[in-house]
This record gives sequence, C-alpha cells and structure tokens, in this order.
Amino acid sequence: MSAKSVATPTPLLSHPLLWVGAWFVAWIGARAVLESSSGPTWARIAAALAPVPLAAVALLTIVRGARELDELEKRIQLEALAIAFVLAVLLIMTLGLMELAVTLNRDDWSYRHVWAMLPLLYFAGVVFARRRYS
Amino acid sequence: MKNRLKVLRAERDWSQADLAERLAVSRQTVNSIETGKYDPSLPLALRIGKLFGQPVEQIFIDNGDGAA
Repeated sequence: MSAKSVATPTPLLSHPLLWVGAWFVAWIGARAVLESSSGPTWARIAAALAPVPLAAVALLTIVRGARELDELEKRIQLEALAIAFVLAVLLIMTLGLMELAVTLNRDDWSYRHVWAMLPLLYFAGVVFARRRYS
Repeated sequence: MKNRLKVLRAERDWSQADLAERLAVSRQTVNSIETGKYDPSLPLALRIGKLFGQPVEQIFIDNGDGAA
C-alpha cells in the first residue's frame, strides 16, 4: 500500500482539482461559444470537443491521486462512488419515466443538465461514507 | 474486531498523528481503527504488529462480529 499523499503534498500541476477546474472552465467557454454564435459546423464541433483534452488530464490526475490514497480513504471513495452510481441511475431512470408520464420542459429537464448533478451525488456519497468512519 | 491500539499508543505517549506518520496512513485511519469502525488490511495490521513488536493476534482480538 502506498501512502504518498500522507507523507508528501501533491505538486500543483498534478492536483486533480486544478484540472477539474480547467475542465469546468472549458465547458463554460464551450457552452458560451455554442449558445452565442452560429459559426461553421467544424468550429462548433471543435468548441464542443474543447473540454475533452482537459477532461483526459483530469482523469489521469484523479486516477493517480486515487492510487496514492491510504486504505481507509480508498474505501471511503469506493463507498461514495457506489452511492453516487446508484443515485445517478435512479435519477436518470426516474427522469426517463417522468418523460413518459408527462411532457417535461427541455430547458429545465433535459439530459444536458442531468450530468451536472452527478458530481453533487458523488460529494453527497463522500460525506455519507466519511461520516461512517469518523 | 477489538484492538489494543489505543493502549499501545498511549504507552509510548504517541498522538494519533505520530502513529499515523509511523504507519504512513492518515490520522483518520488510526482513529477509525482505534474506535473499531474500520479493520485494517493484513499488510497494515502486520505493519502495526511490527511497529509495536507484538504478534497481530495480540493487538487485534476477533470478537466474532465480522465488522469491516
């Protein structure tokens, strides 16, 4: 078991939050571009894909950071992801059923908005799992 | 599972942070083990035994609750 995170601080450029933040900023920028202009298709596709490289770097730093967690924190993260996964499935399933039951306003209930709730479900899972061991 | 970690730590006048540093884990991990909320992995249990110079079974006592 490695516990590098306990002994040494993570360098800034390897910190997952930096890259998740950059990914989020890229998403905001891409969305602003796509909603405010009607350029050529290739430019719109490029704007839509702009967050992908930053997401890839974020993924690498998250996985690397997860490998350096100590064993209890790994368990907490696993339980948090399990909770978040089930809640996410429940949310999407319920949204699909509600679409069959009534007509939902796309501006309020589109799947475009649902993904933003997934990090919130993960953080709720972290809080719940951490309470169990504190 | 019960354990004598808190007693052994107190005998050496170590804080939870001191023990955590010696075991290369977080202070929360030490606290959770001491309070019986978390049972350590075998490698960590062996490190604890080695650190205190005692067999693992003298530090961790199975009370049959199967708690993880």
